[in-house]
Amino acid sequence: MGKKIAILLLFVGMLFLVGNNPVLAQKKVVLKLGMWPEPTLKSDIEMFEKWKKEFEKKYPNVQVVPATYKYATDTFVPLAESGNLPTIFETWFTEPQKLIDGKFVRDITVELRRKGWDKLMNPSVKQILSKGVRIYGVPRDAYALGMYVNVELFEKAGLVNPDGTPKYPKTWDELAKTAKTIKDKTGRAGLCLLAKDNAGGWHFSQIAWNFGAKLQVQKSGKWYANLNSPEVVTAMNFIKDLKWKYDVLTDDPTSEDWGSGFEAIATGRAAMYLGAQDAVNQPTQVYGMPLDKLAIVPVPAGPKGHHYSLMGGTPYMFNAKATSDEVMAALNFLEIMGKAPVVTPESLAGMRADAENRVKNGIPVVPSFPAWIDPAWLKAQDDVVKEYRNVDMAFYNDYYNWIKQKGVLKSEEPYLTQDMYAELTKVLQAVVSNKNADVKKLLDTANSNFQKLLDMYVNKK
Amino acid sequence: MLKKYKKDIAGWMIMLPALLLFTFFIWEPLLASVVMSFFSAKGIRLEKFVGFQNYIEVLQHPDFKAAFSNTFVYTFWSLVIGFLVPIFLAIIINEIIHLKGFFRISVYLPNVIPGLAVAIMWTFIYRAGKTGLLNIILGNLGVPPQAWLTKAHLVIPLIVMFMTWRSAGATTLIYLAGLQGIDPELYEAAAIDGAGLWARLRYITVPQIYNLARTLLILQIISVFQVLYEPLILTNGGPNNASTSLMLLVYKYAFEKFDYSKAAAVSVIIAIILILLTALYNKLVKENEM
Repeated sequence: MGKKIAILLLFVGMLFLVGNNPVLAQKKVVLKLGMWPEPTLKSDIEMFEKWKKEFEKKYPNVQVVPATYKYATDTFVPLAESGNLPTIFETWFTEPQKLIDGKFVRDITVELRRKGWDKLMNPSVKQILSKGVRIYGVPRDAYALGMYVNVELFEKAGLVNPDGTPKYPKTWDELAKTAKTIKDKTGRAGLCLLAKDNAGGWHFSQIAWNFGAKLQVQKSGKWYANLNSPEVVTAMNFIKDLKWKYDVLTDDPTSEDWGSGFEAIATGRAAMYLGAQDAVNQPTQVYGMPLDKLAIVPVPAGPKGHHYSLMGGTPYMFNAKATSDEVMAALNFLEIMGKAPVVTPESLAGMRADAENRVKNGIPVVPSFPAWIDPAWLKAQDDVVKEYRNVDMAFYNDYYNWIKQKGVLKSEEPYLTQDMYAELTKVLQAVVSNKNADVKKLLDTANSNFQKLLDMYVNKK
Repeated sequence: MLKKYKKDIAGWMIMLPALLLFTFFIWEPLLASVVMSFFSAKGIRLEKFVGFQNYIEVLQHPDFKAAFSNTFVYTFWSLVIGFLVPIFLAIIINEIIHLKGFFRISVYLPNVIPGLAVAIMWTFIYRAGKTGLLNIILGNLGVPPQAWLTKAHLVIPLIVMFMTWRSAGATTLIYLAGLQGIDPELYEAAAIDGAGLWARLRYITVPQIYNLARTLLILQIISVFQVLYEPLILTNGGPNNASTSLMLLVYKYAFEKFDYSKAAAVSVIIAIILILLTALYNKLVKENEM
């Protein structure tokens, strides 16, 4: 009997040992988080540490490993090819199709279906993150272009309503006049126009749409470049006038990129700049702009009343070599962060932590643009934003009401978008650097260049 | 026979580390990129042999023509602006009696600063508007502020001036070493024969550093042909492709489009041009010497 008990005890003891032995135990799922904040962002890290602790309590079989990766095109491929990509990482809204084509990211359709999230994603955002019916990413948030306004410059130029909100231009024509007034009264640029890199073409396509342009058209199954239509020519001539007739742009638009535009708004180098609500931390947290000096208003409408807002989404994507378990773990982590379309005590706490962190860092707590369409989630998010509000919504309401209207949101042009932006940027550069630039001729060249690329890569297939 | 090889072993052993490093870091990637230029690829994973397809598509790209001709323009201006500067500097420093070490270090200092930092610094110099350094200086002479880097015909010479500022120092040191290798007796003899400064330069200094200058000329062409980060930081190839270069095209293919096989194709094209130029140059020089 004693012997039997001894053997039993030994057996139990062995089980115990095995259980504690990390090699023999069921292997833990390792979740490498690429969106873990950089070491300098102390309060962000605290927030993530808290989420990590909560997460590991709820999912003890998962080990969360910080693997900060700030997406950059020159580091991405080496990291991906050497298998060192984090399980989940943030990228730019320009990248998904390229990453899907290069087979760098994982198809997560199955995992999303299991969670039921595939049906809750904002359809336009889903399109950006999909190829055919397969989905490759989850939106962190979506954006819709509006116009950032430096309220202080508007005040100095006497362009304010009785309630303190800026008298912003409603059409591009008005914009030219408003910009001129600002330039005359304050000496600062009215508008920051981008022309350094592809972001120039990106912003220009927003402007051209409102002038009534269609930049790509499909005829009998073939795609055609439409960069030299009368509407585009008018839009480009308008840019030319902003530079040479009204002289209201910053000193050198060919040196302005996405980031420098926010710097220009924050430091009062320019009074207006196209930007979306997802970047409100740029002028405020990054460049120290006081919260009460920033407003976001609708993009001006075109001469024939076209009034679109270019929309897109900033995605989370997944390592192509990640296992299904790892992807599920990453999705579960998004729940805790409050970035997933579920309302649980944890996700609510996640949203609150995020809002609290924004307040602490002087970032406007404004509604995000809905990347998910789950009503419960939308309401929860709305409530949190209201609870932590730190800005006067009068400075933002027109913008938010505008993008809620039907037919305002417009996704980017479908094919070789970056190449199209590159062609348009070259024209912008020529127009703002040469007073005698022949707009029609430049656009003709851009159009035939882009058509060549469309024929080479799109129409051939 | 065996004995002969035995004698060589020590030599091979000494060379071995260098050979391994060369093979691993230079020859293998070089061959791999030539191979890659004939394949279609996802990232750096080769997919299918496509013959010259990548080359054809690269040559048809709207930016190729501008990049190709600009690269020659860069080389031309770098020779006009930059080739003689280090020779002058070296001769002057060689003649200086006091503080020679100070000047020698001074000309080399720009090389010590990381390239990107220097490029960003020069964006402040060429910056448009009243806050640009060059505009501030010229403003004192009554010149209104200019947007320097938006002038299509000036942008390459301006970038070349920056490149010269940055790299002339290193070349100066090489020339200086060459100058100091000249036998002082030659100068003494010339002085006795009544040769003045120009005569001494013309008949002693220049012939003595001629071979060195020839080598450095080729090296300069090779390095300027690969101009990349200067336009990348200062202008991103603009305005309207006025300062784009072949290497910038490689960079855009590789790092903006992740299309590594086309990037490889452009690199091979650059290599072929350089090989041809060098061969041509050597042939011309040899003919002259005969």
